[in-house]
Amino acid sequence: MIKEKYTINSEETSLNLVQTQIESVRKKNITKTGFRVYKDEKIGVSGAIGHYNEQEQWEKAQKALSLNIEYPYEVSKDLEKSVEKTCDFADGVAFTREMEELLKALREKHPQFIFSNKINLVTNMVTMENDKGLNLHSKISKIEASILIKEKSSPDLMDAFMGMEGTRWDREEFLRMVNLTCEGLEKSAEIDSGMHKVVMIPFGCEFMGKLYSELHGLKYGTGGSLFSGKIGEQLFCDQFTLYQSLSAEDGILSPFFDAEGTVNNGERYTLIENGVLKSPYTDKKYARQFNLEHTGSAGGGYDSVPSLAPSPLVIKKSEKTLKEMLEGEKVILAFFASGGDFTPEGKYATPVQTSFLFDGERLLGRLPQLNITSHLNDMFGKDFIGVAKDSFTTLFPMHLPVMNMKVEKV
Amino acid sequence: MYTFPNGLYSDIRIEDVFETKIELTDGRLDEIKEKEYKGAFIRVFDGKRWYYSATSDIEGIQDELDDLAKLAEASDAIDNHPVVKKFEVNQGDFCEFTGDKDIASTNIEDKKTLLKGYTDLLKGHDTITSLKSYYVDKRKKKTFYSSKGANLTFDFQMAGLRLAFSLKKRDKLFSESYDGSSAVFGDLKNKEKEVQEHFNKAVEFLNTAEDIKAGKYTVIFSPLAAGVFAHESFGHKSESDFMVGDEAMRKEWTMGKKVGADLLSIIDDGNPDGSGHVTFDDEGTRAKKTYLIKDGILSGRLHSSSTAAYLEEDVTGNGRAINFEYEPIVRMTTTYIDKGNKTLDELISEVEDGVLVETIKHGSGMSTFTIAPSLAYAIKDGKLSHPLKISVVSGNVFKTLNEIDGVSDTIQLHSFVLGGCGKMEQYPLSVGFGGPYVRVNNLDVQ
Repeated sequence: MIKEKYTINSEETSLNLVQTQIESVRKKNITKTGFRVYKDEKIGVSGAIGHYNEQEQWEKAQKALSLNIEYPYEVSKDLEKSVEKTCDFADGVAFTREMEELLKALREKHPQFIFSNKINLVTNMVTMENDKGLNLHSKISKIEASILIKEKSSPDLMDAFMGMEGTRWDREEFLRMVNLTCEGLEKSAEIDSGMHKVVMIPFGCEFMGKLYSELHGLKYGTGGSLFSGKIGEQLFCDQFTLYQSLSAEDGILSPFFDAEGTVNNGERYTLIENGVLKSPYTDKKYARQFNLEHTGSAGGGYDSVPSLAPSPLVIKKSEKTLKEMLEGEKVILAFFASGGDFTPEGKYATPVQTSFLFDGERLLGRLPQLNITSHLNDMFGKDFIGVAKDSFTTLFPMHLPVMNMKVEKV
Repeated sequence: MYTFPNGLYSDIRIEDVFETKIELTDGRLDEIKEKEYKGAFIRVFDGKRWYYSATSDIEGIQDELDDLAKLAEASDAIDNHPVVKKFEVNQGDFCEFTGDKDIASTNIEDKKTLLKGYTDLLKGHDTITSLKSYYVDKRKKKTFYSSKGANLTFDFQMAGLRLAFSLKKRDKLFSESYDGSSAVFGDLKNKEKEVQEHFNKAVEFLNTAEDIKAGKYTVIFSPLAAGVFAHESFGHKSESDFMVGDEAMRKEWTMGKKVGADLLSIIDDGNPDGSGHVTFDDEGTRAKKTYLIKDGILSGRLHSSSTAAYLEEDVTGNGRAINFEYEPIVRMTTTYIDKGNKTLDELISEVEDGVLVETIKHGSGMSTFTIAPSLAYAIKDGKLSHPLKISVVSGNVFKTLNEIDGVSDTIQLHSFVLGGCGKMEQYPLSVGFGGPYVRVNNLDVQ
């Protein structure tokens, strides 16, 4: 029998903003622990939130073996690795003090706007250890901001959004990004219906959804994916390479291992290379069941049997800067394009709730409500221009994708 | 009992949770577990700022409360603060799911057998490429104490299942799911006919669905889609936290304003059974029935105690948190459109070229609302016609509310155990949706 312990600790200071002021301060420090036992190609799991009796939990996990959940896969072993990423704030007190200063600056510089929602200081510590020599440890402290921006005279619940997830804090750069957005909101712009270059803000636009669903190992393996049976085939254009990524270089601040303790080289696994399908994403189960590459994409709760779950998918950066890709054109920066979807065959349509006319540096004015349409094969095929090699901000990696899409004014 | 610090408002919410999860892939067991845990959320208010702590250490609640109090500035006038005055003081035991009704008293093998039965009904069908089956239940007992004297216990319970199937025939692909849920385990039995009929519809869709020609259409939403439409298009705008301190929005959202067609009434109510049921909210306020729109007129909005105080209105029982790790914020409960006076056949017969949306994948709402349909059908010359593949139905909320011109005469309320409503960091919250069939003109369909 092999024993494995999976511990997730989350410590947080969360500030809720109302009317550009701190309305509340929330503290949290919660530990969730999973206990797994493997025996005779079966797995038994138990779990506890907070304090626990270790002996009791192992006994519960052993008892769970009788539930007969199959796990005929090799348990991860013989690997010790620890990664810690620190953040610019030592504690919640210093963090709260700095955010008071940020909000004061926002109130002074932008009295015609309301800033609300959350800024958090988070430390997540995750360890996975077993008696086969696996000992993985990740501790990441980060700043998470999701600030809603609303013009005071606007009838909408929100007009724009400033998000960040990073370890470094730079108040001036944060303010520069907010200024950029507010300047864009203060002016209006127009664009004709037709084909246009569209730059997507990844955290506000849901254009990658079909890649997540069609590259799912079970869907692929059972023949239900648009990509089923197409490993080795050219799906998209030569410039399109897609990783499954847990890499901080891609802006992902997550543990470097998956829920089965798999660690990928460089924390990435290439699923599509130069347009050619290499592999769907898989865990140990579906890699074996369908004879696919094992990409290390297991997820699940602290007390769950590990199961296939997507890691973040990231498109490889091109050799061009954003300015070079735009070639001096004024294009559409899609800030919020949510609620749309793909048909089963891959046709894509979505409303664009907030967008700007954009020259690669400045937001030249807010555009009216738009609809954009495309097809999966075109978005990442003939109409794909690339992902900028330069980041749009120094706060965190923000490499913007550009593609041609059909745009219609509502 | 706890010692509440002087000069501050404080409350404590303790959640005692039981959950079951069973998951099968193509009939094979992936996961089966029961778990129980407790957690608490503690709040302290000094009249200027809130201080919160989430903890799994139930024994340490008093220490957490005392630590939070050290961060706050005590005031003798706290009891006269408008927010504090709004808190209801309810006492007593209001638990509904005790004894045999408690889902924890049902053997997990019975739950597995139920799920396996429905799975076997579909397994092996030649169009299915994969079949994922889920059984989930949750019983949550909440105890709430406040420095004003609230001392109450209440509970919530839901059980349900989902059968999610991917279908394929030659180069045609389609995914759909069947959902069933109830507060009572026994209600989930004997649904074979319903499951089979839903599956047959999905197969018919796979075989015969055609692409929509993008354009403006009259759309009839099913009770499920109408409920999501009400939730997304107007429900979120009725959550009054977005109005706090925003004078422009206060003026824009004046009560009595005409916001929709005369036949439109939208209600939020925590009282009906189902996934939006709340006996009390997470601030200890009794659930209430609130007309958001009545006969096309803006009639109410949803409140926590803070927003009710700010807007000088009554509390509505909508201060809700997804679990013990979060503070209550203004959220919906069961949101539905009120019934009208037409039959579904009458609604369809009056449409020359339109769309019926029966099931959906998701919805969203800001100034533009969206519904991504799953099962949808063409309406031609007053008759239901062939299935349609649609990416998204969308429209401007305020224009759309005035474009409603027909509402059917029977309401259905729907509940779910998987997924729920998301608002900023808090997802998923258990809510209910529903309504009659609702006909809306001039929607963008792509």
